[in-house]
Amino acid sequence: MLEQLLIFTRGGLILWTCKEIGNALKGSPIDTLIRSCLLEERSGEVSFNYGAYTLKWTFHNDLGLVFVAVYQRILQLLYVDDLLCMVKESFSEVYDPKVMSYDEFDERFRQLRMEAEARGEEMRKVKVKVKPLNGVKKQGKVLKPEGGNKKESDGDGGDGGDEVKGNVSSLTNGNHKMEDDDDCVVNGKENSGGDDNNVGVDVSKLAKLRSKGVRGRGGLRKAESVGSNKGSSKVEPPKKATKKNRVWDDAAPKQQEKLDFTDSVDENGGNDSVEVAADQGESMMDKEEVLSSESESDDDEQRSDEKPEAKKKGWFSSVFQSITGKANLERTDLEPALKALKERLMTKNVAEEIAEKLCESVEASLEGKKLASFTRISSTVQGAMEEALIRILTPRRSIDIMRDVHAAKEQRRPYVVVFVGVNGVGKSTNLAKVAYWLQQHKVSVMMAACDTFRSGAVEQLRTHARRLQIPIFEKGYEKDPAVVAKEAIQEATRNGSDVVLVDTAGRMQDNEPLMRALSKLINLNKPDLVLFVGEALVGNDAVDQLSKFNQKLSDLSTSGNSRLIDGILLTKFDTIDDKVGAALSMVYISGAPVMFVGCGQSYTDLKQLNVKAIVKTLLK
Amino acid sequence: MDNLEDLKIVVEQWSNQGIEYLQKIPPFQLYAAIGVLLLTTILLLSFRLARRTNSNTVLLSGLTGSGKTVLFYQLRDGSSHQGTVTSMEPNEGTFVLHSENAKKGKIKPVHLVDVPGHSRLRPKLEEFLPQAAAIVFVVDALEFLPNCRAASEYLYDILTNANVVKKKIPVLLCCNKTDKLTAHTKEFIRKQMEKEIEKLRASRSAVSTADIANDFTIGIEGEVFSFSHCSNKVTIAETSGLNGDTIQVQDFIREYIKP
Repeated sequence: MLEQLLIFTRGGLILWTCKEIGNALKGSPIDTLIRSCLLEERSGEVSFNYGAYTLKWTFHNDLGLVFVAVYQRILQLLYVDDLLCMVKESFSEVYDPKVMSYDEFDERFRQLRMEAEARGEEMRKVKVKVKPLNGVKKQGKVLKPEGGNKKESDGDGGDGGDEVKGNVSSLTNGNHKMEDDDDCVVNGKENSGGDDNNVGVDVSKLAKLRSKGVRGRGGLRKAESVGSNKGSSKVEPPKKATKKNRVWDDAAPKQQEKLDFTDSVDENGGNDSVEVAADQGESMMDKEEVLSSESESDDDEQRSDEKPEAKKKGWFSSVFQSITGKANLERTDLEPALKALKERLMTKNVAEEIAEKLCESVEASLEGKKLASFTRISSTVQGAMEEALIRILTPRRSIDIMRDVHAAKEQRRPYVVVFVGVNGVGKSTNLAKVAYWLQQHKVSVMMAACDTFRSGAVEQLRTHARRLQIPIFEKGYEKDPAVVAKEAIQEATRNGSDVVLVDTAGRMQDNEPLMRALSKLINLNKPDLVLFVGEALVGNDAVDQLSKFNQKLSDLSTSGNSRLIDGILLTKFDTIDDKVGAALSMVYISGAPVMFVGCGQSYTDLKQLNVKAIVKTLLK
Repeated sequence: MDNLEDLKIVVEQWSNQGIEYLQKIPPFQLYAAIGVLLLTTILLLSFRLARRTNSNTVLLSGLTGSGKTVLFYQLRDGSSHQGTVTSMEPNEGTFVLHSENAKKGKIKPVHLVDVPGHSRLRPKLEEFLPQAAAIVFVVDALEFLPNCRAASEYLYDILTNANVVKKKIPVLLCCNKTDKLTAHTKEFIRKQMEKEIEKLRASRSAVSTADIANDFTIGIEGEVFSFSHCSNKVTIAETSGLNGDTIQVQDFIREYIKP
């Protein structure tokens, strides 16, 4: 049963809601759909889940309308897509920009809905007739207790109705859950007729089908396998806590013990050399960025020169269309332009699946739109993509760190930042850069050396601390990082530091015990900012890194609301000339804004992300 | 010195040639050409002046969920129809305010633009700021305290924008949803916003001389920020979008867009 069907303009005014099913929706699913899906350029997806509801939508790009259908997630209504298309077509005939209420549409909608439901039933009947045998073997399965999928699993002959329904749901191999309360009601009549047949076939062919049943089992097994995967991953044998030292042939065995060279000198940087604090001038965070002054028209002309290989006939018709400007954009028209755009994005080091999703989203927003006169299809697509990219890269929340630091200072507690990331991306170096920048803004900083694994990590931070003349809290090697961080924060509260920067060891996203240690650190200390450090050189792996980090942090969190990655620090930005796609992949997959960009190896090489420049470079 | 004199001679020769050429053209054509040139320059200049002084654009901005779209439709049609959702695109319209429809005579229409408040759509505001003659900043008086910081950051960005400072665009701080019982008063909201903007001022203009985040700073050095320190006029009003009580906004609009 549909919960609600809405029609609204892109500007936000609701034009029509279905008054028959006037159920009030729990929460605000429509607003959440807009904020987390449509504005995040995920409009190419099939559906959106919110609480107990699933939402499906379609656009009418020419008139600027959005059609959204809301229904219960556990139901599995096959006719919703159909219904949305039909509603779209008939509403666009009635639509008038000046009219604000469409009461006469109620009647039309009722007809359309009955039509769509009837069509849906027919499809189901066809499916049932085609494969009555498959449903039979499910008797065996229904008896088995399944992980919460089927509640009424009586498994006797009278349950023939359930079997058939279960069969239908396993056929449509998807992400939908198996409970079909709705189907019960709709299919009640037909099942009573088919029941006898099923039971009759049952007994005789049961044995034959059990052997064939392996393929069908796969459908239901999917739901179970997800659960079992989780179990198996946790059953992995725990890795050894300490590494055994490698024995080379020619090394004398005595020299193996003294590998821990931490001096037993006091922690505050030593009294031997009083170094002057490193002052290398203003950090680039505070400098204005000088943008290149190329004009937009030059780019257009260059690009038009680069495409002589288009077929003559195609070129002529597109020119003709661009002059008259009356054609509605179809998928087939958009495909070549979008494909070219996707290739261009991938040459700029954007991850492949991100480029794919983006192109789908732009396609969804352009389909059916009228071409303005004197514009080519490619320039329309380019414009839409540019807007979409600016929207993704613009942060969703404010990234004013200074303001957050001041807010924490008022509450008399230090502002804690944790740097996480895989090996070798530049966490310690960029931590020092951030400390330098904060120091320039008269904020007192303290470093916490929670990388207790890599040789030399503590000394590295100690050197930075000495050069910047800021306190550092360290406990040497082979200590629990979570405990070190906790003590560091307590120390900072005691001596009144405004900010604590916590350095962690690099870890691969697949390394289960290390990820567990990381989430323990974050759960125990509840930092204000979890900063993921990623290098700009990374390609498709960015997607994997970020999604796995986020997933592990949310899976292994102990309290109710899990802390995910709050911000991204993009490093080694000076090494890529124009292949800036990693920024886009990371922001898209995690939703976190890019807070800093590291563009060099000295203290001043830290700047903010310039959204317009990046978008220009990506689309050049 | 010789070079200069040579140059002078060459220039004189050229000017003589030019004058001879000009004298060859019949006078009528010459006058016609000069006339056309003058006419086009005068037209261009007048257009540019006209656009600057007679702009009738009013911007409705504010955080997402503060009630801008409802206010837009109230001003235009007198009712908010069947409700609104989060806007994805700006709502624009040039019309005479609904309450003035009854008045006789030719009233100048107002170009009202409702800019979406969602943070991802923030760049859209910058497209419209150059042509604005007045800005209405809508604040949700009901859910004020959780959003106070975000609202004051947005307002701070607007007040320090180059266009706003140079043209001294007036700003109306409009407290919406005042029909609800637990909505805050405009005095409370004004004080809270001033406090927050004071903190922002302190944190943003700490050291750097070239602060890339904001173009200008506002307020007077050494004194706590108050809206009266702004060079452009900032006033406060209360409205209720759902009830249709928008009289203060209309007065504000009419003050700056003469009918």
